[in-house]
Amino acid sequence: MGKEMIAMLLAGGQGSRLHVLTQKLAKPAVPFGGKYRIIDFPLSNCVNSGIDTVGILTQYQPLVLNEYIGNGQPWDLDRLYGGVHILPPYQQASGSDWYKGTANAIYQNIDFIQRYDPKYVIILSGDQICKQDYSDFLRFHKSKNAEFSVAVMEVPWEEASRFGLMVADDDDRIIQFQEKPKEPKSNLASMGIYIFNWDILKKYLQEDEEDENSENDFGKNIIPNLLKDGRRMYAYHFNGYWKDVGTISSLWEANMEVLDPEKSGINLFDENWKIYSRNSGMPGHKINPGAQISDSMITDGCVIDGTVRHSVLFSGVIVEKGAVIEDAVVMGGSIIKAGARVSHCIIAENAVIGEEAVVGAMPAKGESPSQGVATVGSGVYIGDKAVIGPDAMISENVKDGEQR
Amino acid sequence: MTNARMDAMAVMFPNNYDNMIPEFTEIRQMGSLPFASRYRIVDFYLSSFVNSGIDNIAVLTRKNYHSLLDHIGSGREWDLVRKNGGISIFPPYAIKNIGIYEGWIEGLASIRNFLETQKEEFVILSDAHIVMNFDFTKLIQYHVDHKADVTIAYTRDPMPEEVLKEGDPSKGTFYALDLDDEGHVTNIDINPRREGLLNQSMNIYLIRRKWLIDIVDKTFLRGGVYFVRDILIPALSTLNIQGYLYEGYSSRITDMKQYFIQNMKLLEGDNLSRLFSGGPIYTKIRDDNPTRYKGDSRASNVLVADGCVIEGEIENSILFRGVKVAKGAKVRNCILMQDTQVGEDADIEYVITDKRVTVSGGTKLSGSESFPIYISKGHVV
Repeated sequence: MGKEMIAMLLAGGQGSRLHVLTQKLAKPAVPFGGKYRIIDFPLSNCVNSGIDTVGILTQYQPLVLNEYIGNGQPWDLDRLYGGVHILPPYQQASGSDWYKGTANAIYQNIDFIQRYDPKYVIILSGDQICKQDYSDFLRFHKSKNAEFSVAVMEVPWEEASRFGLMVADDDDRIIQFQEKPKEPKSNLASMGIYIFNWDILKKYLQEDEEDENSENDFGKNIIPNLLKDGRRMYAYHFNGYWKDVGTISSLWEANMEVLDPEKSGINLFDENWKIYSRNSGMPGHKINPGAQISDSMITDGCVIDGTVRHSVLFSGVIVEKGAVIEDAVVMGGSIIKAGARVSHCIIAENAVIGEEAVVGAMPAKGESPSQGVATVGSGVYIGDKAVIGPDAMISENVKDGEQR
Repeated sequence: MTNARMDAMAVMFPNNYDNMIPEFTEIRQMGSLPFASRYRIVDFYLSSFVNSGIDNIAVLTRKNYHSLLDHIGSGREWDLVRKNGGISIFPPYAIKNIGIYEGWIEGLASIRNFLETQKEEFVILSDAHIVMNFDFTKLIQYHVDHKADVTIAYTRDPMPEEVLKEGDPSKGTFYALDLDDEGHVTNIDINPRREGLLNQSMNIYLIRRKWLIDIVDKTFLRGGVYFVRDILIPALSTLNIQGYLYEGYSSRITDMKQYFIQNMKLLEGDNLSRLFSGGPIYTKIRDDNPTRYKGDSRASNVLVADGCVIEGEIENSILFRGVKVAKGAKVRNCILMQDTQVGEDADIEYVITDKRVTVSGGTKLSGSESFPIYISKGHVV
C-alpha cells in the first residue's frame, strides 16, 4: 500500500555562515536549545504530524549526522515499512554526481520516493527552528485541490526584499513569485517548506533535469516553471515561531529566545508537541552550594559551582567556582574553569575555557544585542587568562594570556 | 577461560526486600524504586550487567510488577532487545506444585527449562536492592582465578538498624560472611545481631549454570526454598565458596530512613561522580526538555533531572523529572519524585513526595531527618 505523504529533508547544506560550528558537522547537526540538534525539530514535527517515512538528503560532513540519526529510534522512526533513511549521493550505472541543487537532490532519489508510491511529498529544510503541524498543512493543500503549496510567513515589509516572496490572491492562490526583489509586491515569505502532488513533482524534476541551463533549484527553477504552466499553487499561512538559524547571531538569538518562551513563542515545554532527541544518558545536573543560577536552562550531567545568568547549558557542562556565564550558549561537554568570564557568545562542544580567561563581552548600551557574538569552536582550548574579544571566531587553541 | 566477558547470564529477583519499605512497595517493588533524580534501582543492575557484556537477563517477578514492566518495556534503553538473549521477564504464574515463589529455589525451579536451554557457562543470581555501578567482569575473573564453585559478592557495611531491632521485617534476607585468609567463606550468619562492620553479602552470586540446575533440582525435591539457607550453608565445607569484595560506591536501601539518607548522600562530596564514574547508567527515556530556572529562583546543593521548572528556592534536595516549584515556594531537604508540583509560597522540609503529588500553595510541611514525611503517589496536600 502506498503512503499518503512522505517527507524529504534537505540536510546537505554546508552552513558556511556558521563558520567554526560547521567545520566538522553539517548544519542540521548543530546543537540547539540545551539538548537538541537542529534536525530534531523537522524530525519531531514529522512524527508528531503522522509522517512515518523521511528521507534525509546529506552531502556535506555527514558523519556526525549519520551517527546521530542511527536507526531513527529516538524519533520513533524505526519502522518496518518506512522510517528514516539517510540518502547520500551515490554512484549509478550512468555515472555519479554530487547533489547539484535542491531539486537535483530530490531528482536523484526519485526511486526512493517511488518505493512508497505516495500521493504527496513534503519537502523540508534542515536549518530551521520551527514547531509546525504538517498534517494541517496537508489538509490545506487538499482543501484547495492544489498541485503545489508552500508554507509562508508574513514578514515586516521593510525586510521583505531579503526573502523569496509569494504574491497570492484572496483565495491564497499564488499568482507571482519574487526572489529577493528590490520592490516587493508581497510580504509573504517562503519558508522553503513545500507540499507537492507526487506526480507533479516527478514530472517537473524530470523536465528540470533535462534543461541544461537550470540550476536545479526549487526556488530558482521548479517554482517559476510551475507558475509558467499555470499550475494550482497555494500559499499556506503559518504564524507560529519560525527561525532560520543559518548565522551565528541568529543561532545565538534563537537559543536566547528559548529562555523566554512566553515572549518569543518557541515553547520546548509542550507536552502535546514534544521535540525528541538522542539522549545523553547522564545523571541529573548538580548545583553545588555557592552556585547562582538565574533565567537559564540546564540539563543532565552539568555540574555548577559558579554563576550562570540567562544562558543555555548543554549536557555535561562543568562550571567551576567563581566562573561567570552570562547570555551564553555553552554546548555539551565544555568546561568553564575557575574565575573565567564567558559572556554573549557561543562555546561549541568539548571546549575548555581556562582559568580567569575572558570570552566575549556584553554589548554596550545602544548596540543591537544579537551583534558581536563571539564563537569558540569545538574541542578548542582557551588558555588561562586569555582574552577573546566580541565577534571573535576561534577555531584553534589559544595560549595562556594571549589576546584575540 | 578465554573470554570472561561474554560467558555469563543473569537471573534477577527484584522483590525480596519489599517488606523493608512498605510505604513505597504498596505500588511497586524494590527494583522499581526511584533513586538519584532519574533512575530506578533496577537500572543500576541492568546497566552494570550490560556494561560488563552480560546481555542475557531473566527477571523473576513475584508481585506488584506492573511498574517494573512499564519501566523496562522491551529493554531497548539498556540495549537488551537481542535476538539471542536480551531481557526475559517472567511474571508470576502459579503452577500447582510451586505457587507464587517464596524463595529463590522455587523461582529457579519454575524457570528450569529456560535455564537448561541457555548457552552461557555461568549464571549471576541477584537481588535488586543495592545502588551500585558493578563491573561484573572482575567478579567473573576472580571466580575463575580462584577456581571457585560459588562466588559471593560482598561489601563491608554494618547491619541495617532495622535488622538489629526486635521483630525485624526482613525475614532473614541479610547475610554476613566469615572469610578465611584465602577468601573462602567459612560461615554465613543469617540476620546476625552484630554491631560494627561486617562482610555483608550483596546477594549477588556467581555459579556455573549446569551445576546450578543440578543442585536446584535436588534441593527443590527435598523441599528446599531459600538459596542461601538450603543450598549454600549446607555446602560450606564441601565446596569452594569464595567472597569477592566490591569496593565501588554502593547504597543499600533498607528502610524509608535509609532511602532518604542514601539519596541525600549523593549531594555530599564526590559521591555522585563516584557512583557514575564506571559505565553509564541507562534508564527509561522521557524526552523531557532541559530544566528551566526562571527569574529569581535559587538553587543550592541540589541534584535535578530534566523537565523541571524552578521559580522558587530549592536547597539540599533531589528533584526527579518534571517537578515544578512555583514562585515563593521553599523546598529544603526533600526528595520530590516525578511530576511533583509545589505551589506558590509552600514551604516544605524533610518531605518525600511520590510521583505526581501536588503540594498546594501556602502549605507548610516539616518532617525530620530520621522521620521524613512521605506523601504517597498522586495525593494532593
